[in-house]
Amino acid sequence: MFDRDIWQEIFNTIKKNKLRTFLTGFSVGWAIFILVMLLASVNGMQNGFVGQFNDDATNSIFVRPGTTAKAYAGFEAGRRVQFKNDDLEYIKRSFPEDIEYISARYYANITARYKSETGSYPVQAVHPDHQIIEKTIVTQGRYINEADQINKAKVAVIGRKVAEDLFNNEDPLGKFVEFNNLPFKVIGVFIDEGDDNAERRVYAPVSTYQRIYGNTNDINIIALTYNPSYDLTKALEFSGRLEDLMKRRHKVSPEDQSGLFVWNYAEAFDDISSFSAVLKAIGIGVGFLILIAGIVGIGNIMVFTIKERTKEIGVRKALGARPRQIINLVLLESIFITTLSGFVGLVFAWIILALIGPNIETPAFSNPSVSASTVITATIVLIIAGVMAGLIPAIKAANVKPIVALSDK
Amino acid sequence: MIEIKDLHKSYKMGSNSLHVLKGINFKADAGELVAIMGSSGSGKSTLLNILGMLDGADSGEYTLDGVPIKDLSETKAAQYRNKFLGFVFQSFNLINYKSALENVALPLYYQGVPRRERQEKALHYLEKVGLKEWATHLPSELSGGQKQRVAIARAMAAEPKVLLADEPTGALDSTTSYEVMDLIQKINDEGNTILVVTHEEDIAHMCKRIVHLKDGVIVEDKKVKQVRADQYV
Repeated sequence: MFDRDIWQEIFNTIKKNKLRTFLTGFSVGWAIFILVMLLASVNGMQNGFVGQFNDDATNSIFVRPGTTAKAYAGFEAGRRVQFKNDDLEYIKRSFPEDIEYISARYYANITARYKSETGSYPVQAVHPDHQIIEKTIVTQGRYINEADQINKAKVAVIGRKVAEDLFNNEDPLGKFVEFNNLPFKVIGVFIDEGDDNAERRVYAPVSTYQRIYGNTNDINIIALTYNPSYDLTKALEFSGRLEDLMKRRHKVSPEDQSGLFVWNYAEAFDDISSFSAVLKAIGIGVGFLILIAGIVGIGNIMVFTIKERTKEIGVRKALGARPRQIINLVLLESIFITTLSGFVGLVFAWIILALIGPNIETPAFSNPSVSASTVITATIVLIIAGVMAGLIPAIKAANVKPIVALSDK
Repeated sequence: MIEIKDLHKSYKMGSNSLHVLKGINFKADAGELVAIMGSSGSGKSTLLNILGMLDGADSGEYTLDGVPIKDLSETKAAQYRNKFLGFVFQSFNLINYKSALENVALPLYYQGVPRRERQEKALHYLEKVGLKEWATHLPSELSGGQKQRVAIARAMAAEPKVLLADEPTGALDSTTSYEVMDLIQKINDEGNTILVVTHEEDIAHMCKRIVHLKDGVIVEDKKVKQVRADQYV
């Protein structure tokens, strides 16, 4: 393989047919270029989707009450289900192994006032765990903690937009802001990577709001994250158990679709994964089809080369070249052209992606890039392609009868 | 050295079969210089192809240096050709992108001789045909006579048992032809067995024996008094 004579011959044929070699090589390079770009685009899309969902922890489950649609256990249909603080405790106790973080959510709307600035904002009254479930990033101060929760402290963590609206350039930390005329102390400011709207929100301890709103134990939603080591099947199995438990507790028929909802992120995530897997498969498929055109091109040029060199091959055989040696020569030439031109395509694609990839940052598409595995796969594919392209011409060459060279006068 | 017994060969031409060799019996000893003559269609090229293991016979025996040549695979035939035979063609058949030296070294390459040794040997044979100074030249920079001498050096490089020359002077003018024949005679003088296919009387008479082929049979096989080519050079 690393024989100087073989390489001398390969370079000679390439040199003699520069344009022809370039044009066929181009088709393979182009095919690899497109293949890599397609894969990178799919990758970019996947990045985009994942980015969209990254707003929340990907192992989160939301349990929401609804209105029953079926009569069950002595209750009529159309009954509103209401979650209480007990439900949270009950879930926590029932699944100590499965649950990582858990928090209630209690919704309220407030009119906030600081000095002369006012605005109305939604409040989510939550437990300290909620920060992790919602992936809230606190930029100043702190989040709600257990002490606030126990003391029913009138404290608030406000979104960046809220802080901008109310405080202008003032530092909001430690200031008192009036929510529906009750003074709350600002203990933190948060940002949210997901969307701007989330930053127009206020977090407060759930116990505080339950007391303000008529001493209730009501909660609107239970948010939790499950053990992150769970795979999809285990996660779905867990949310199934959770749903069964909650339906039993609230006397909702197991067949009732609207009595309460357990929404598992994993399910949505699974849909996206399979969606991008399909896209990837399509990308690979299209890329391969284009590559086949390139392979046929290389095969074509090799057949021509063999035809031109029939006499030479005949002479070589008369001088004692074995069929194997002839096959090796042709295959090596084919692999060389394919791999070289493929690599040029690969490097081009890689350079373009490296230059523009990091600059692309849209909601559904971000940072398209090629992984090392793509490069390795492409290389293997190229070598196989080279063998495929050279195989028929090589066999043709090996079958050249030396007699042809002799009688060809 | 070469022994052929009752050799038959026919070619299928569509539905007809063309009987080209109709029972050839032929024997050549080591050190002979034999001219095979005949008009076109006499079967001399077919005979040479069979002798050169480039084609198989339909029936009959062929023994080369005591080795029976029969039912060879492509690979085996290639090995035997490389070991036993040296070819000289009418149209030289040098590889045009290889220098004279590399052309001569080619059969040695197929023998698996290491590169350095190959080149030394090739240079030695080039010197023998008087073209040492032309070693690095490409065939396109050589004259016809020089090309044929390179081809002869190439045929000799593998040190074959038998040299097969198919119309070696067919593409050359008479002066160069005699030069080439002079070289062939000298190689023969060293004890090499050489078969020359030709249709030129004067070339044939520079051999030691002439075999006449007509319609697929040997019609005449005679020893002749060799005319030395060097007197014309």
